[in-house]
Amino acid sequence: MKGGWFKLYALAYLVFLYAPIVLLPMFAFNDATVIAFPLNGFTTKWFSEMWVAPGLWPALKNSMIIAISTAVIATALGIFAARASTRYKFPGKAGIMGLIMLPLVLPEIIVAVSLLVVLLGIGVPLSIFTVILGHVLMTTPFTIAILSSAFQSLDRSLEEAAYDLGETPVSAFRLVILPLVMPGIISSLLISFTISLDEFIIAFFLGGTQVTLPVYIFSQFRFPQSVPVIMALGTILVALSILLLSIAEYFRRRGIAKSGGKDTGGFL
Amino acid sequence: MIPKPAASGQTMIEFKDVHKWYGDYHALRGISATIRAGEFFSLLGPSGCGKTTLLRTIAGFEGISEGVVLIDGKDATDIPPNKRPTNMVFQSYAIFPHLTVAQNVGFGLRKQRLAKADLDARVAEALEMVGLKGYGARAAHALSGGQRQRVALARALILKPKVLLLDEPLSALDKKMREQMQVELIKLQRQVGITFILVTHDQEEALVMSDRIAVMFEGEIAQLSDAETLYRRPNSRRVADFIGTMNFLPAEVISETAGSIEVEAQGFGRIHVDPKQAASEAPGKSASIGFRPETLTILHEGQQATDREVGAVIEEVVYYGDMTYYDVKIDGTQKMVRLSMRNVFGRPVLDRGARTRIAWSPGALVLFR
Repeated sequence: MKGGWFKLYALAYLVFLYAPIVLLPMFAFNDATVIAFPLNGFTTKWFSEMWVAPGLWPALKNSMIIAISTAVIATALGIFAARASTRYKFPGKAGIMGLIMLPLVLPEIIVAVSLLVVLLGIGVPLSIFTVILGHVLMTTPFTIAILSSAFQSLDRSLEEAAYDLGETPVSAFRLVILPLVMPGIISSLLISFTISLDEFIIAFFLGGTQVTLPVYIFSQFRFPQSVPVIMALGTILVALSILLLSIAEYFRRRGIAKSGGKDTGGFL
Repeated sequence: MIPKPAASGQTMIEFKDVHKWYGDYHALRGISATIRAGEFFSLLGPSGCGKTTLLRTIAGFEGISEGVVLIDGKDATDIPPNKRPTNMVFQSYAIFPHLTVAQNVGFGLRKQRLAKADLDARVAEALEMVGLKGYGARAAHALSGGQRQRVALARALILKPKVLLLDEPLSALDKKMREQMQVELIKLQRQVGITFILVTHDQEEALVMSDRIAVMFEGEIAQLSDAETLYRRPNSRRVADFIGTMNFLPAEVISETAGSIEVEAQGFGRIHVDPKQAASEAPGKSASIGFRPETLTILHEGQQATDREVGAVIEEVVYYGDMTYYDVKIDGTQKMVRLSMRNVFGRPVLDRGARTRIAWSPGALVLFR
């Protein structure tokens, strides 16, 4: 029975992917400091402890500043690059686009270490700003990939038609191109935000004394008594990530439906 | 044919020695032509001949490297597309997918800041003109190909441009729809009286719709004339090959005077051709005689030729219902030629291998030399 084996494989695959994540909320609500079975009973005290945990709020604030700045900057850069790559021909285009997309496959630790060396070499103090810099570098390939597909699906004559009907190049872009790529822009903002929010290596290397949420979480694992609190925090982060990705996907699909296109690919 | 209102004769577009280079590629090679106000003008040619480029120089989407384009008497070089009295129907129609039909049609009126009632009235009027009355509230992306094209037309015409530019507007439609739209476009052009300039690679479409046609090859206008002249008296072998079907038989020019050219044509013998019926042969080829499939008549039994006749053998019969194409070998020739006969009631379709007589007259022959 061939189909049976495929079903079994698919099931095993899903368990492998999601079982650890399912354990997270399980222990977040478990009334014990030790992370082990059997479960000891239901409690929400880890969540209230999390609320007053020292260092958590500053870390969250840093993470939000970094993630929002990264999302905005990387998406803005992505718009320019995507428009240039889909609209204009220029010498060395393939090579340049390849180089821009390279951070996607470069080991993050290499990027982090080389950035650290360069920043220290030119005397830039490590701060939130340097983390934003690193995160923009990491997330721009993603925004370009998302936005390129949004720009690529546009008929070039749409812009010309608006121009022909009396609009200036700027108002043609605003009235026609922007509304049509807006779902792509929102999706790019959300995805770069999510990537930046849970990025660890660059934040760890380039943050200096400024701690982000993932760095905070990592540091807390040294203290066994705070592990259940981290579980609670992790539960909230997983829920938020799923929510954000769903919103991103919703906007992407709505964009396709709005322009009457066919759905090919996407994240969810 | 429905009589057309005579174009006013005033010049609407004038090209003066227009050249366009893309790097090393010479896309337009010295175009000089005038398009009259109120005429239906076609730019016809195979793909890559520069017809779309030429249309886009009128719209302002392409700059030109040399020469001048005058629109309504004004040098258009420095006028951007949004300030030109021209509007375009794009090949893809370029309907804005995020807007409704009414928003699409009214798009160009945005700058005029009309009161809502006036705007709605203008949009409704434009939609009615293209036969889409009541479609205003529909989502643009939900329309069929033919409907999108009508929206594109309404959107361009609502601005009452002096010139409407049509870039292969019918190429995406199926045959039936295309034929229907051809007739509608002709009627629409007569109704609004605006100069229409059509780009097409379909010679039949150009013949059906246009007052005048410019046939283009490799960035040059090969012939500019009305449809009938183009068909009856192509000025070169290239134009003759591109427009419809033309048969060619070897010929030799014997002598030439001001009023007549004496030719020895294979199959037809020694004939005199009016110099008006003489065109240029492709380079490197000797002279030939050309004729259209329907200009010669296959005589049925007992029928008398009104002018001259020649014997022939039918080699192939292709039956089309209303027409039959016969591939025949005229006595004294080696090359097969194609003739077409209307299948009149009571007249049998001939069989392969049958001997027959063909009526012809020197007036139907075009000399290529």
